[in-house]
Amino acid sequence: MMVETPKVAILFGFGINCDRETAAVFELAGAESERVHVNHFVNGERDLSEFHILAVPGGFSFGDHLGSGRLLGNRMRFAMREQLAAFVAAGKPIIGICNGFQVLVKTGLLPGREVPDFEQRASLTLNNSGRYEDRWVTLEFDPDSPCIWTKGITRIECPVRHGEGRFVMPSTTDLDALNENNQIVTRYVDPTTKPGEGITDETLPFPLCPNGSIRNIAGICDPTGLVFGLMPHPEAAYATFLHPHHTRSEVNEEILAEGMQIFRNAVEYAQANL
Amino acid sequence: MRDVRGDSVKRQLVADHGIEISKVRSIVGFLISSEITADEVASRADDVFADPIIEESATDSLHLENKELFSNSPDMVVTIGFKPGVTDNPGKAALDGFRTIFPNAGGDARVSTYLTYTFEGVPEGVEVEWLAKQLHNGLIERALYSLKGEDFPVIEYAPITPSDYAPPAVVDLEISDEELMKLSEEGLLALNLEEMQTIQAHYRDPEVRAVRAELGLPENAPTDVELECLAQTWSEHCKHKIFAAHIHHVDTETGEDTEIDSLFKTHIMKPTLEMKDEVDWLLSVFHDNSGVIAWDDEWSMCMKAETHNSPSALDPYGGAMTGIVGVNRDILGTGLGARPIANTDVFCFGPPDWEGDLPENLFHPSRVLRGVHAGVRVGGNESGIPTVNGAIVFDDRYIGKPLVYCGTIGMMPRKLPDGRESHIKNPEAGDRVYMVGGRVGYDGIHGATFSSLELTEESPSSAVQIGDPITQKKMLDMILEARDAGLITCITDNGAGGLSSSIGEMAEYTNGCRIDLGKVPLKQEGLSSWEILVSESQERMTVAVRESDVPAFEALADLHEVEATWVADFTDTGQFHVVHGEDTVASLPIEFLHDGVPQLRLESEWKTPTNPDFNPPPNVNHSSLLMRMLARPNIASKETWVRQYDHEVIAQTAVKPFVGVERDGPGDAGLLAPVHGSTHGLVVSNGISPRYSDIDAGAMAAAAVDEAVRNAVCTGVDLSKIAGLDNFCWPDPIESKKTPDGKFKLAQLVRANRELERICRAYFVPCISGKDSMKNDYGTGENKISIPPTLLFSLFGNHHDVRYTTTSDLKPGESLYLVGESKQELGASEISYMLSESGESDGIGGEVPRLPNPEKNLESYKALTKAIQSGIVRTAHDCSEGGIAVAIAEMCIGGRCGAAIDVDGPGEADLWGRLWGESLGRILVGVKQENRAEFLAAMKGQPLTYMGEVTDGDTLSVWDGDDLIIESNVEEMVMAWKGSLDMTGGVQ
Repeated sequence: MMVETPKVAILFGFGINCDRETAAVFELAGAESERVHVNHFVNGERDLSEFHILAVPGGFSFGDHLGSGRLLGNRMRFAMREQLAAFVAAGKPIIGICNGFQVLVKTGLLPGREVPDFEQRASLTLNNSGRYEDRWVTLEFDPDSPCIWTKGITRIECPVRHGEGRFVMPSTTDLDALNENNQIVTRYVDPTTKPGEGITDETLPFPLCPNGSIRNIAGICDPTGLVFGLMPHPEAAYATFLHPHHTRSEVNEEILAEGMQIFRNAVEYAQANL
Repeated sequence: MRDVRGDSVKRQLVADHGIEISKVRSIVGFLISSEITADEVASRADDVFADPIIEESATDSLHLENKELFSNSPDMVVTIGFKPGVTDNPGKAALDGFRTIFPNAGGDARVSTYLTYTFEGVPEGVEVEWLAKQLHNGLIERALYSLKGEDFPVIEYAPITPSDYAPPAVVDLEISDEELMKLSEEGLLALNLEEMQTIQAHYRDPEVRAVRAELGLPENAPTDVELECLAQTWSEHCKHKIFAAHIHHVDTETGEDTEIDSLFKTHIMKPTLEMKDEVDWLLSVFHDNSGVIAWDDEWSMCMKAETHNSPSALDPYGGAMTGIVGVNRDILGTGLGARPIANTDVFCFGPPDWEGDLPENLFHPSRVLRGVHAGVRVGGNESGIPTVNGAIVFDDRYIGKPLVYCGTIGMMPRKLPDGRESHIKNPEAGDRVYMVGGRVGYDGIHGATFSSLELTEESPSSAVQIGDPITQKKMLDMILEARDAGLITCITDNGAGGLSSSIGEMAEYTNGCRIDLGKVPLKQEGLSSWEILVSESQERMTVAVRESDVPAFEALADLHEVEATWVADFTDTGQFHVVHGEDTVASLPIEFLHDGVPQLRLESEWKTPTNPDFNPPPNVNHSSLLMRMLARPNIASKETWVRQYDHEVIAQTAVKPFVGVERDGPGDAGLLAPVHGSTHGLVVSNGISPRYSDIDAGAMAAAAVDEAVRNAVCTGVDLSKIAGLDNFCWPDPIESKKTPDGKFKLAQLVRANRELERICRAYFVPCISGKDSMKNDYGTGENKISIPPTLLFSLFGNHHDVRYTTTSDLKPGESLYLVGESKQELGASEISYMLSESGESDGIGGEVPRLPNPEKNLESYKALTKAIQSGIVRTAHDCSEGGIAVAIAEMCIGGRCGAAIDVDGPGEADLWGRLWGESLGRILVGVKQENRAEFLAAMKGQPLTYMGEVTDGDTLSVWDGDDLIIESNVEEMVMAWKGSLDMTGGVQ
């Protein structure tokens, strides 16, 4: 073990909203979180190299005007390019949740290349319903994915809260390539299927697939498995009492819930590899 | 690629008007003016303006003329842009993004946005002008359109209307009383004769004249700056003159004849201050932007609710959005700055399916609902504040004025790192005053005085604004950092009355201030001094900073890209002193400004209104009544709307608006665990029951308090620490030519206040903050529409452990109990309205639900919360509209299971009363077999009736002794309950 307590940079500012809870779950997973304003990295007062993990939390950066994640994505693409490239080259994990996922897609870090070229190859666009919605979904994970964030996770439940979560790529070939590399880390599934057997390419009806995403894609990773983005909010499922069904059983004395595993995985990865 | 924006318009036309158009497509447009050439812009268009994966971009040409994209020429084209001076949030963001790519865009670069919709397959009879009207609000937007074969519309920049700076004028007040009133009315000052005369007298005072002479101000007359400043500060909106009035109250039935010196002081302030002496957790009440309680040793909580009714009537979207972001600022402006952690939204609208006439200038209720909902959704979601609880109430009379109540809860560390207590402001003379956030413009001039007048066809558009959540969010991030760094000595928001109110109020702490209007950053040049002073332009806070902290404060503002401008200084001169550059333009004694307004003297006279009796037909099928009741807008599921609010951001919401197996059953109250990793909780609930005012506004107020408390009880709230907010919306209660029934409306207010006090004292709920909006009428004379007197009671309270709580969904194997008693109280009930509207009953009259013995209710609430806190109760639901029948139906829906109950029980109510009556103090509870004995022991001595059992089947059976009176299939109930307010036109 080289790093005992990994340091996590939680981006904030310009309409990022989920910075506090994202910081909290990394702390609960054994890391040390710091909320750092985007401009601290842009103006050079701080550098990403001080940190072991980077999280781009959910929110409405720049109001999502001009498309979700685009304007913050541009700030990162043009003003933090070298820091980001160095961070990825150093083998350090990055997560983007909801708006953070949209940002990573628009910077080109996802689905990305082995060595980032900051070219946008996919997009996240308006839900087919035309509406922003907050609802709980069931996610299943590709057991063969290189994603370091999702090791050992089969299925979790957590909320989606977005209006632009429909994952699209220009062609079927692009999607097939993503699939072959096991970069399609997580998908929306029908909760009545058996865990491990829920994944399907056929788009599930609303609201099982809440946004009409192609192949029910909820989250993807880059080829290295270090950069991970997803629309749903695992951090909002960090505690047992946040599950909408928690009153349907006896009181659960255990506080931490399944959403934590994603953050623990990254912390453990950093402890073992950085 | 699917055009979701176009599809949404298509579906909405189906849902609201039954009009099917084969295809609607959308084009997003940007008008750019900068130093950058069109070719350069075109080469980078896909980096900023279009998404290369899903969109096509074109520069300096119309997509509509591109045959590859539009092979069929559409039947109709509508292009919509903003009117001059209206906030264009996407345009602002686009400019920011444009500068990221083109840092050399030039200082005068501008970007405006517009949207074009194209329509193919438009049915006969649909006019393009009508279509355009459905897609825009003429008050803030402009629309261009074309038909097939005509030139496509090409939109130009909104022209900037040149405005001329007018130097401060002197207003002659040595005029007749008639002329004084004319001045008040024409200038939108909303001051009455006595108030105008008080101002007149001020300028006759020799001492005042002497001071003015020294300052170089006109000695014997106000400047327009002073008059406007007084009008804002003395407005009903800011000074709550009706609640502060001296009232002569007569009750024609009891013969009571009394004098009341201020309803606020008598019935709200006094009880709260007396309660404050008994507990140690009421940290700050009444004097700040919101009331503050100690939640635990480390954290305090505060809450505020506001209304934004008039602006929401004119522009539902913008009005409601400024409502929500405005109340967020009240929280940020509490103490030294609290962080908003949850919103509650309660709306009152006309029926969404209204088919009757609409008065001029008013929108259809469905459009008001859509707009208000969208405004609050965008305002709350983009700010990252979860909406955890709320309600939507419908009544015909809210067509005249919708009510938009926005509430926010805030949280702050009790002590800041520098040791100061966060709930206490401590500015000193010499501190610098900054205006932080947005700039000042024409938008929002006269908001405070306008909301103190009734709506008319000529209501001004300058009173309407659109919020900018992102500017506000940046400001919020920056201010919380400044607070924690110890840089803030005083803070308040710029809401009603603008700088004149915000700095004016803060200046009371040090007894004086000096403002320089010349320093205030403007959206457009040419604003006059008084306009700068009173403009209510959004997203602004006023913050006081010690001189030594100025560099750190300004550096933080730079980091967050927030504009912070030094505009004033605190002094101890006793004067509210305003300069514009070199010239003094106003000087008012602080005391006169804040305490000079004369007390109103009002007449109140109570006579019980008469209503035809509720006399339901003898032989009815209660099962079909239940289906009709479940579809009533007041009862039906609001899921489509509420699900569009983020209710889980911050990862703290332990009881959400939706509960149960399919996560669509109703949540009674919001329950939060605001400290991550801890189970310590906070409960948020609301109570509102406006129709009871048709019988007695006093009963209406009591019911609102009881409902809020009851909802909180369902979560297992800690009843030893709950606090409330009273939010009154009333029709004008001052007798006059246009309000001949003013005495009665005031008597309703008196009765509501008396009941509010009685119940709050009995339940020990101090009212720590409140608000009133007293002019909720539309029009005059016979066509006048007055809202039913409405009190929203909001509550927040402590919760020991969020794991130990209940939800309304039934769980398998539970036995059902009723806490409380059903009485024969069907007056003004939802069933009475339904059956009178359909002609099946003569009216809604009868006994309205009352609380004769609230102390007894509190005892059973305490016993129940204790049982919930011990973990033996996991299911509870309050009985409100529709009584036990609707409550049990909702519980079956949440649990997706059947139940069999018997409503034959103690008390003298008949079947209608027991089934549909809305008696207060009642909660249905589900308890598992193994916990029954413990539960019965815990509830010993309380009114408790065994009702029945949860069943394995899918049928709700309600018995009255041996008679089966309701037998309903659960899925059918789901359809009835979820169908009527869906209004989406179908998904996908």
